[in-house]
Amino acid sequence: MLRVDDLYITFNAGTPIETRALRGLSLDIPSGQFVTVIGSNGAGKSTLLNAISGDLPIDSGRIEIDGVDVTPLASWQRARQVARVFQDPLAGTCEDLTIEENLALASMRGQRRGLGRAVRADQRSDFRERLARLGLGLEARLTDRIGLLSGGQRQAVSLLMASLQPSRILLLDEHTAALDPRTAQFVLDLTARIVAENQLTALMVTHSMRQALDVGGRTLMLHQGEVILDVAGAARAELDVPDLLGMFEKVRGEQLVDDVLLLG
Amino acid sequence: MSWFSFMGALEIGLIFSLVALGVLLSFRLLRFPDLTVDGSFPLGAAVAATLISAGVNPFLATALAVVAAAVAGLTTALLHVKLRIMDLLASILVMIALYSINLRIMGRPNVPLITEPTVFTLLQPAWLSDYIARPLVLLVVVLVCRLLLDWFFATQTGLALRATGANPRMARAQGVSTGRAILGGMALSNALVGLAGALFAQAQGGADISMGLGTIVIGLAAVIIGESMLPSRRLPVITLAVILGALVYRLFIALALNSDFIGLQAQDLNLVTAVLVTVALVLPMLKRRLRAKGD
Amino acid sequence: MLNRRPATPPSTSARVAHRAPGASRRRALMLSAIMAGVLLGGAAVHAAPPPKSVAVTAIVEHPSLDMVRDGVRDALKAAGYEAGKNLTWQYQSAQGNTATAAQIARKFAGDAPDVIVAIATPSAQAVVAAVKTVPVVYSAVTDPVAAQLVPGMQASGTNVTGVSDALPVEQQIELIRKVVPDARRVGMVYNPGEANSVAVVKQMQELLPKFGMSLVEAAAPRTVDVGSAARSLIGKVDVIYTSTDNNVISAYESLVKVGNDARIPLIASDTESVQRGAVAAAGINYRDVGLQTGRLVVRILQGEKPGAIPSETGGKPQLFLNAGAAQRQGVTLSDSLLKSAAKVIP
Repeated sequence: MLRVDDLYITFNAGTPIETRALRGLSLDIPSGQFVTVIGSNGAGKSTLLNAISGDLPIDSGRIEIDGVDVTPLASWQRARQVARVFQDPLAGTCEDLTIEENLALASMRGQRRGLGRAVRADQRSDFRERLARLGLGLEARLTDRIGLLSGGQRQAVSLLMASLQPSRILLLDEHTAALDPRTAQFVLDLTARIVAENQLTALMVTHSMRQALDVGGRTLMLHQGEVILDVAGAARAELDVPDLLGMFEKVRGEQLVDDVLLLG
Repeated sequence: MSWFSFMGALEIGLIFSLVALGVLLSFRLLRFPDLTVDGSFPLGAAVAATLISAGVNPFLATALAVVAAAVAGLTTALLHVKLRIMDLLASILVMIALYSINLRIMGRPNVPLITEPTVFTLLQPAWLSDYIARPLVLLVVVLVCRLLLDWFFATQTGLALRATGANPRMARAQGVSTGRAILGGMALSNALVGLAGALFAQAQGGADISMGLGTIVIGLAAVIIGESMLPSRRLPVITLAVILGALVYRLFIALALNSDFIGLQAQDLNLVTAVLVTVALVLPMLKRRLRAKGD
Repeated sequence: MLNRRPATPPSTSARVAHRAPGASRRRALMLSAIMAGVLLGGAAVHAAPPPKSVAVTAIVEHPSLDMVRDGVRDALKAAGYEAGKNLTWQYQSAQGNTATAAQIARKFAGDAPDVIVAIATPSAQAVVAAVKTVPVVYSAVTDPVAAQLVPGMQASGTNVTGVSDALPVEQQIELIRKVVPDARRVGMVYNPGEANSVAVVKQMQELLPKFGMSLVEAAAPRTVDVGSAARSLIGKVDVIYTSTDNNVISAYESLVKVGNDARIPLIASDTESVQRGAVAAAGINYRDVGLQTGRLVVRILQGEKPGAIPSETGGKPQLFLNAGAAQRQGVTLSDSLLKSAAKVIP
């Protein structure tokens, strides 16, 4: 469903701080698969997600969603097929708008916006219902500004927003990283539930090897702009964190020295 | 203050409340610092005055003035969106260019409308004197514009526009073409300002090339005073607030004009206005502090 | 906030001490007669006309416009109307802002003075558009008909009359030819945003060819542009002529510098500029324009209807010459010219 062919992205080319973020990365994700992506800092995880969503221009390569080449399309044009939840809760919602306005915006993702009312009465009751299922009491606060919510609450709403309109792929960019452990777990469980309910294809970047193995059905490990590990199914089910570390060392011939990765 | 002075302040205040609404749209909602208004205000005046002097129906002339000003706003937005010129700079470029363009349109620096028919003279009933009729007509115009804006901001497109200013990245992630939103929003904002310019020329006796200077200051002052007097997050309240802000600002100027009884002279006008506006801005904050202390 | 009217001056009453009857009575009588005569005679000069109010506005503070205002006040004083005594005098400047000019016009309409004086085109337009009944006297407007203040220069029949500061352009061209006889190319620095200046430029464009001369324009939209506009004319013109343009008058020194450095003769339209370094000007004195305007105001205060008073053109141009400037700018002033001048500055 999602195909990435030979992607190259270089930042600051030709300068002393040149960074080759992605080096010929290729990827093939069938419909309905939940993939976790892991890697140390600078491995290219966020860059990959930004390239898929259209927020970053690529140097060469191809991105295909459902057989359609989306490489020349701007991010707002890909929004119909790509839903995102950002790491920063502030980035994924409009602070000044109310909860229902944010949801209304998300419900029109990929649709032509006209002069009809943004938040209709029938929409409101639908929003209330969905918010109630989050179990956070937000269904009573539809007209509150979203800026009043905590980080975890906002991420929960972001997840909800991502599922309001059918999308082909859901991109999750370390979306629990800015939350405390309890809230992070809550959001993670919610993520699993929403992905399962809506049968979404999802790509989740995480900094935690534990998370990477526990969530979803396939795990990719990126290092220096390339995919160095790709495990799924039965082989993946048997793996534990030390195993991942061992595999890494075998492939790269070097030790993994990223604290966050090891301790996560 | 005489009744005339008061009605005069209302009249000018209502005209500039349209500018305030335009500035609200660009500065606050789109987060686009737009100085084009110093050029699109006299553009509206120039187009309306020139067309009326040439015999065109004042209503049609006013409508064309609005379109011209919208094009000016569109140009600024295009420079920013397509050519990646910084927003403030793009608006300054268009404002500067409009000085020459306005002179070209008028053919001379001053186009009088004293003996010409205007929307005011055409709408004024015989039994009402002009200094009451003009504010009444303007009141209707302003209220209609406000209602239309409030309705628009509650639509899907209006919401997309607000999102563009509030969080452009998120807006794009929701499928909003932020480029198109900026183009449309800037055109609408300057259309309002152009309408104000066209009405001002007809109320005040003509279009003069120098009349644009300081328009942005009046607009921003009105927005800030309004938000200070009626703080709110709800858009219908905000639009009302900036209208009131414009009225209050011009009333302050009328007060300052009448302050010769305390020994102030003509050249102190700006100082007096500044003092009054400062008091207006500080007072709500002081009230809040006092109230907080009293709790 | 009502404008407070000054109290009427105390009625003159002769107080005479009565002394002893008889000869002293005759003396007393003579004394009273003399006193009465003096007082009556004095009263004829100092007797206050009934209190009046005059409201004056100008678009901006500016030397020429301020001189007009002062001239108006002096003319009123000469006719016996003095601020604070029997005259309520109000002056408001619009600080260069047309919106403020509009509010001032409406304020004046509400104050309903006996006469409103509006100085310069934008203020005059604002007042005439807003005030339909109170008498309005405009001043320092070059083309009041084009500005739609009055339908023509004859008596308007409305509430408006005034004094225009238009200078007959042929006279100006004659002066140029007298000062710089072989001048062919005339340069003009002016503000394209000032109606008065644009009007003069148009007339020059039309009339100069008749004398075998041509006009080279240099635009100065802001006062800071005057110097560079003048410099752009170096090598392209034989003489630089300027009208009563607000920007030029404000920054005349930068013109003088160019004229002296490049030896281009400068001819102005107001006498003040000759003091500042122009070779010559057959110009109106703005104070005289003010006095002339003030005299119209007095006539209206004394009962004449403004609609019955035809508009006037400001005074007789006076010829001022600056011999020192002539030398610096490479011009020889003929004796006949020097003799005909009202004033020659060394």
